[in-house]
Amino acid sequence: MGLSSTTTVNDGIQLCIFDLRRGQQEGQELDKILFFFPAECPFSVQLSVIGLCEGIITFTRIFSPETACEVIEAEKHSHVFYQAEPDIWMVLVVEKNKDNESIWRCDSLQSILKEVHSLFKMFHGPLRALLDKQPSGELTRSHLYSFITDYLTDFHVGKKIQMPSFRDCLRERGSVQMLTISREVALEVQSLITVIGSSCVGNTACNSLVLFQDLLVSTTLSPDDTANLFTYAVLRLTPHALSSNTNSWSYLRRGTSSPNIAAASTVTNAGAAEENQNRSRDTSPGGQSQRYHIQRPLQRDKWCKGKDGFVVTDVPCAEVGGFIPLAPIVWLQQTEERMYLCVYQHKNLTIVLLIPVSSLINGEQGVALLKKQLLENASEKIVTVEQKLSRSWGGENAYHVSGYRYLFVDRDRNVSRASPPGKVTTLTKDSLLALNRLREEVDLEKSRAKRDDPDHEKDSEVCIRAKNNAWVIAKITGGRELYMVLEKASETLLYASDALEKFSNRYCDGAFSLD
Amino acid sequence: MDYDPGLPPRDHGDSNDPNPSFDHGPVAAEIEGSSNAEANHQRGRNGRAPSDLCSGGEIETEEEEEEEEGFRSPGNSGYYGEGEISSALARIEEVDDGRNSAEIWARWKHHSNEDDASASWRKRKKHFFILSHSGKPIYSRYGDEHKLAGFSATLQAIISVVEISGDHVKLIRAGNHQVVFLVKGPIYLVCISCTKEPCEELMGQLELIYGQMLLILTKSIDRCFEKNPNYDMTPLLAGTDLVFSSLVHAFSWNPSIFLHAYTCLPLPYATRQAASAILQDVADSGILFAVLMCKHKVISLVGAQDASLHPDDMLLLANFILSSESFRTTETFSPICLPRYNPMAFLYAYIHFFDVDTYLTLLTTSSEAFYHLKDCRIRIENVLSKSKVLIEIQRSILEGGLFVEDLPFGVSLQSGGVDAKMSESLSSFMGLGVPGGLWHFIYKSIYLDQYVSSEFSPPVSNSNQQKRLLRAYQRLYASMHDIGNSSHKTQFRRDNDYVLLCWITPDFELYAAFDPLADKVLAVDICNKVCQWVRDLENEIFFLGASPFSW
Repeated sequence: MGLSSTTTVNDGIQLCIFDLRRGQQEGQELDKILFFFPAECPFSVQLSVIGLCEGIITFTRIFSPETACEVIEAEKHSHVFYQAEPDIWMVLVVEKNKDNESIWRCDSLQSILKEVHSLFKMFHGPLRALLDKQPSGELTRSHLYSFITDYLTDFHVGKKIQMPSFRDCLRERGSVQMLTISREVALEVQSLITVIGSSCVGNTACNSLVLFQDLLVSTTLSPDDTANLFTYAVLRLTPHALSSNTNSWSYLRRGTSSPNIAAASTVTNAGAAEENQNRSRDTSPGGQSQRYHIQRPLQRDKWCKGKDGFVVTDVPCAEVGGFIPLAPIVWLQQTEERMYLCVYQHKNLTIVLLIPVSSLINGEQGVALLKKQLLENASEKIVTVEQKLSRSWGGENAYHVSGYRYLFVDRDRNVSRASPPGKVTTLTKDSLLALNRLREEVDLEKSRAKRDDPDHEKDSEVCIRAKNNAWVIAKITGGRELYMVLEKASETLLYASDALEKFSNRYCDGAFSLD
Repeated sequence: MDYDPGLPPRDHGDSNDPNPSFDHGPVAAEIEGSSNAEANHQRGRNGRAPSDLCSGGEIETEEEEEEEEGFRSPGNSGYYGEGEISSALARIEEVDDGRNSAEIWARWKHHSNEDDASASWRKRKKHFFILSHSGKPIYSRYGDEHKLAGFSATLQAIISVVEISGDHVKLIRAGNHQVVFLVKGPIYLVCISCTKEPCEELMGQLELIYGQMLLILTKSIDRCFEKNPNYDMTPLLAGTDLVFSSLVHAFSWNPSIFLHAYTCLPLPYATRQAASAILQDVADSGILFAVLMCKHKVISLVGAQDASLHPDDMLLLANFILSSESFRTTETFSPICLPRYNPMAFLYAYIHFFDVDTYLTLLTTSSEAFYHLKDCRIRIENVLSKSKVLIEIQRSILEGGLFVEDLPFGVSLQSGGVDAKMSESLSSFMGLGVPGGLWHFIYKSIYLDQYVSSEFSPPVSNSNQQKRLLRAYQRLYASMHDIGNSSHKTQFRRDNDYVLLCWITPDFELYAAFDPLADKVLAVDICNKVCQWVRDLENEIFFLGASPFSW
């Protein structure tokens, strides 16, 4: 029992979600488990992992009642905690291999938990609400099972699951990557947005996101909702996501085909049904093994582009006459509103349209009508905007800055920009390790400063000349962060500072410049 | 004179009742009898603490960043001695019996009215615990160990639950709190801290606490647990609270802790040579190590051929000696273990204070060398007096070490191609009386395993500011040394509090703190000048006769 015994049955990771308000009676402990990956893990192991986590949460509250456990670092494993909702915890257990590749930032792993929870909430609402709606927890478990299993397929490398490591230290999960556009194109885009917005019936305006390739062009949503929908679009909706079953997150895994994912997912799904039945036997005797219609928005190959340009789900690509495609419904955090998700794609341009459910009295038919209206009103503008964006698009390496490997994050806008993945791979392992370590320090200092004085942001600058002579730099100012690695740079600190200054002036509007 | 073949008693009360089951390695010879004026052997746990350490006690004020403020750092003048402390001391004075007074002292300073249910206990910023693998408490920095049995069992449970799964827990992080675990055979050490210290530093501090325990007991304590897993170790450490308290206090003022190096009292080259010569002279007569120190600073040290003294051992030895008042008043012959030298065996230390700060430690493997060592000490004392070494030491204490204000920079800055902008910044900082905004520096010679730290100057004037700066250095050190055995080369760090510069070469490490608005170019230039200055003075600020440590 315990951690080591589980390593034989999984890929080196475990992911669990548990509710501390459930299963507090002896013999009812299984009831607190809402999700456990891998599902085939014996209950005894699941309980021991969750038991340890629960124990540590209780223990750390003695000293730190506000922020309970965030991470347990052991010799062979890291347990990364995230309290998704009050008393609902997500814990990711990752194994430290001896191959020296399993070095990561705690925050980077935690952001995976945050991301999957945010996406889940977007489609299914808060976990607590689901649990209240159906107190046996079966509905929640079924939703979580398919959702997270589908989500984890993005981390498959071959048959293994690989979490982001130090090699991903020049990326920021959960942030939005924007396309820089000229003033002229911006005006065109704005006019398109206005047309799209007015497509809605009555006086309710439709919200929209416009993406070009995997980059955001415009949004009418709040930063949090934008980040969620952007993440989702890049995972499943953009032409790149639709055309390949590949992982859209890590450049390391780009190009790896995953024909066995669907098969694996079916197998584990079958396991899930059995699992759920077992659990319902175990935890709620006499409980019904009711079957639910489980919406699987993260399932691969679920979306496809129809002839009319709309990207639809839950429908065979060869459309059967008379069948009305379902539009998934998402929750917006900002307005707590339910919206139909409607996606239109023209070449590399993807428009995510959000129609308030409340505005359409006749539901799906209303969506169909609206789509028709959109095509009539906006298709010309869409073609124009796509053409203009394509013409000014600098390609995959558009944001490469020669000599620099960088990551720029604007926390207030939740936007980031980084060196192209292909360029980051040219860095040596030593440089990446040094930056990863520096980022970890910065993460700790930032979160401490935030706790100690939430209203006052702390500015800082760190320039390190690593043992391989690379300069590794982090500069934080006014909610904006810049990380960079300069290999082949001169040895003086002044050179590194100048390089930073030049970059800041040229690409960050002087946000990190001294004057 | 009696020789007690048992375990060295930890206080007077225990001396009649050494645990018969304790099977330790070497026999600790002890010269009994406090009435014996010549050989008044004491372990320094007679209930009185040295004024500079105990006087501050564990006073904690909420607004302070940390809780050890009560202690006075060496180098500071004046002692606390008011209110609660003086009344506690008064109570101690009133009690004749040494054991009772020790208990009163321990109870007072230990916040023994606290346990894990007390809000005050939970709010302490830095806890240290030692417990046995069966969960029995051995030491707690705060609260009565016995009242913390339940808490101690919880710590043990955490360690063992993870161990059962074939893993070893190292760190738990929750908000600003870190819980750091160190397992040393049957001894478990845990630190719970919300200070900003990096985990690696807290781990190093646990290692030192373990080392301090070994210094008192040797590693042969493990055998007791082999025989009886439920062995209760607390009586063996009874009365040693002050040793641990002063070590924990050192974590917040002594750079030796994270640098793993020692520092010397600045002395004219000839004076140190004179001291070294006489130490060398006596060392040839079967002494393993002869160390002449002033507080925590080394004046000179000599080791037998092939024997080297690790800086951590020196730190633990000095802490042990300085935290016990009795060593200051009588000459002492005491078994001690140097954990880095040989964790399994006791050595025998002859300790004698020449004055309130300056003391000689002679270490030998022979338990019967007291009179020989005493003779050696008399010879050394004669020479030190005749050659005026002791007077020079006093002068050095009064004058202090290096002050950043004295950094010679003017000439070379003018001739060194410094541009007009820099000169302007320089003069603006000169207005503060500190060149280039330099506030403080530490220079460590890697070859010598020694460091020199400048004296604190305004604006780093009070103990809290000093501690904050030390913590910043600690983080800088951890950040520079994290990658395997190698380190980064340079680091420049600017935040709201400081500009910090670190420069590591195969020969030295330099850590410097500047005004947060300091000019980068100028700061680099100042660092170069500090290095040059230190090199120019190395004959006086370093002890150059020592062979490098082989570790």
